[in-house]
Amino acid sequence: MSNEVDEILKRIQSYKGVVGTIVVTSEGIPIKTTLDNTTTVQYAGLVSHLADKARSVIRDLDPTNDLTFLRIKSKKHEIMVAPDKDFKIITVQFQPND
Amino acid sequence: MSDRKAELERKKARLAAIREEKERRKREKEQKDAEEAALRAPGAEKDQHKEIDEMLSSLGVAPVSDVLSSLSSLPSGSTENQSSLTTPDHSLQSTTVTSQSTVSKKKPTNLSVVNVQTTCIPPKETVLYCKGTQTNQTSNERDGYFEDWWRPRKAQAFGYYDEYNLNPGLEWEDEFTVLTYDDLQAEDEESSLPTLAGYQSKLPPGILPHGLPQVKEVQPACTSLETQEQKKEEPKPVRELSEEEKMMIVLSKDFQTFMDRCGRIMERALSENIDIYTDYTGISNSDEKNEDKSGTRLSLNRVFHDEKWSRNRYVTSLDWSPQFPELMVAAYHQNYESPHEPDGVCLVWNTKFKKTTPEYIFHCQSAVLSATFARFHPNYILGGTYSGQIVLWDNRVQKRTPVQRTPLSATAHTHPVYCLNVVGTQNAHNLISVSTDGRLCSWNLDMLSQPQETLELQHKQAKPIAVTSFAFPFNDVNNFVLGSEEGTVYSACRHGNKAGVLDMYEGHHAPITGIDTHMVQTGISFSHLFLTSSFDWTIKLWNMKETKPLCSFDYNGDTVMDVAWSPVHPAVFAAVDIQGKLDVWDLNTDTEIPIVSTQIEGNVAINRVSWTPSGTHVTVGDETGKIWLYDVGEQIAHPRHDEASKLVLTLQEFKNNQTDEEIDKAPTFNSGPSSLSSLTSR
Repeated sequence: MSNEVDEILKRIQSYKGVVGTIVVTSEGIPIKTTLDNTTTVQYAGLVSHLADKARSVIRDLDPTNDLTFLRIKSKKHEIMVAPDKDFKIITVQFQPND
Repeated sequence: MSDRKAELERKKARLAAIREEKERRKREKEQKDAEEAALRAPGAEKDQHKEIDEMLSSLGVAPVSDVLSSLSSLPSGSTENQSSLTTPDHSLQSTTVTSQSTVSKKKPTNLSVVNVQTTCIPPKETVLYCKGTQTNQTSNERDGYFEDWWRPRKAQAFGYYDEYNLNPGLEWEDEFTVLTYDDLQAEDEESSLPTLAGYQSKLPPGILPHGLPQVKEVQPACTSLETQEQKKEEPKPVRELSEEEKMMIVLSKDFQTFMDRCGRIMERALSENIDIYTDYTGISNSDEKNEDKSGTRLSLNRVFHDEKWSRNRYVTSLDWSPQFPELMVAAYHQNYESPHEPDGVCLVWNTKFKKTTPEYIFHCQSAVLSATFARFHPNYILGGTYSGQIVLWDNRVQKRTPVQRTPLSATAHTHPVYCLNVVGTQNAHNLISVSTDGRLCSWNLDMLSQPQETLELQHKQAKPIAVTSFAFPFNDVNNFVLGSEEGTVYSACRHGNKAGVLDMYEGHHAPITGIDTHMVQTGISFSHLFLTSSFDWTIKLWNMKETKPLCSFDYNGDTVMDVAWSPVHPAVFAAVDIQGKLDVWDLNTDTEIPIVSTQIEGNVAINRVSWTPSGTHVTVGDETGKIWLYDVGEQIAHPRHDEASKLVLTLQEFKNNQTDEEIDKAPTFNSGPSSLSSLTSR
């Protein structure tokens, strides 16, 4: 079963421009990563914070609503967060120029 | 005399002075000793005292040590404490003492409590600004500006204020900086005046404030947002998980489900790379695709391929989900290069998202020869295998292996199942399967342990028909047509007193590879029409009511592997051959050659062809495990209204040709390999 998880990560990793993927717990602790340690810790901490904030914003605006996906486009990267009850997947992708 | 007297006086005075000096020195020494014994004060301080004493004595002032001794009588904890007490007092003491001593030198030192003038200097505030503050709270940003700005106006704007300023000596500006003008400064010049009036009224008219109105320190600029940020900045301790803990999480069911779901979402998101920054006002890149979609052109849209699961496996079957038209199930044969992988693979592809990986992966132990979505159960996918088992996968289950399978027994199939279909209605439907030994089974999807009914397909008690393909006409659950390995096409029915094979359609001289019935719903019914493709390089069009083909298309130069009617255009069908050619025919345009054909990359054999339910795309599955999705041109995808009536005319034409040929007694359709086989058969 664990190699199915790896397979999914590998599949995500195989997409064009994908820099890395991190799976974190709801507390922002990384479980699986394809990045190096320092980058992982940095991304896991900061991005999960942001995702939590985003979720609380959505919930504050409408208590029946919930965050389903978070996509941050920047000049260099695109950070995508697929949040769930207990875990989050964070994927960093190079912003394609064309 | 007077001189002597004077000299005597002088000497006396000097003597007295010397005596006094002696006496003083002695006293001083005693004092010093006593002090030393009593205090044991640090030498440095003593030196200091001595210095001061000397200085004082030169001035004719009582030494400090006197004062100190009187002070030391006060109860004090430690010498250090005292030193801290004494040091700041030096200046004070000396000043008071000097002032006293100037009056009377010899008077005993009289100490009294002096009111020390206290001055309070407020600590220099450090005001921090941030952008947020500047925009949200304009009170402090303009301080400097404000002062300069107000200076010339103060006379007019604050003129009234002079009556409250009881201390004309004080400059207005001096107090100005410490006044709070939160509400004032937030306003503009014009609007500030009414507020000033309000401010004036706040002061009680009778009671004049003591010198100044309420004066307090300006609060450092600090918004609630800022405090929140500060709170957040506190580093949250990130707990590291041990390998075991991580493993526990990874292996948990929740995590598996999460990964499966969110991984899929992430993949979809990753492949959606629409440039949302398109600027149409700017100069566009000239290489914009300005393709003409109006024609009949076939253009490759995408290729579905999975390195692990579909490589080297030829595509055996293609089917589309009735509930989700974007989902396509593809069955794959065995990969002979990797014997450790499961023989049979079934992948569900999504044509809606640009995701390049399959939506679902299913596999089983035997090669899957046919696969279909269970029409009324959106979660089920059925597969007919080489072993004869029919397997059922459920996409709700986190399992790639079948959740159910039919038994391998004489009551069911023991030969490969190439034909699989779900027919019927929501409330009464059956799974129909036919194996190459000519056995037809119908199943209830709720009970796959045994078939509901079985039927041996054989023509006039001859040997069983080796069925390679079958098709049900539109809205018919009873009658169907089937193609055999011998090249003969049969029609059969499931129920009634003549259940079994009904008619025989002869024309092909080699195994039938594909069969398809007409499915387009127009005002005119064409459900009696069906197409067959065969190893004899031909495609034939049949009418179910006639045993001879309506027309034979002898265009292909090799084995035709499959044929499929367009789901929207009544006169269009697609055919694929073993050389990797995809042809699209329009009977209303041309009956001799296809209107458009394309060659897939690599010249590999195409095994299956299928239209998307919308009729806008055609998909082909090749022998290397790739599925090619082509966009079809406007003319094919969106037929005009008169196409059906035109087809009637075309069919009539076919009929006329047929009768002409019969009259001429010419051998029908003797071209290509069929002529050879017909010669041998005669």
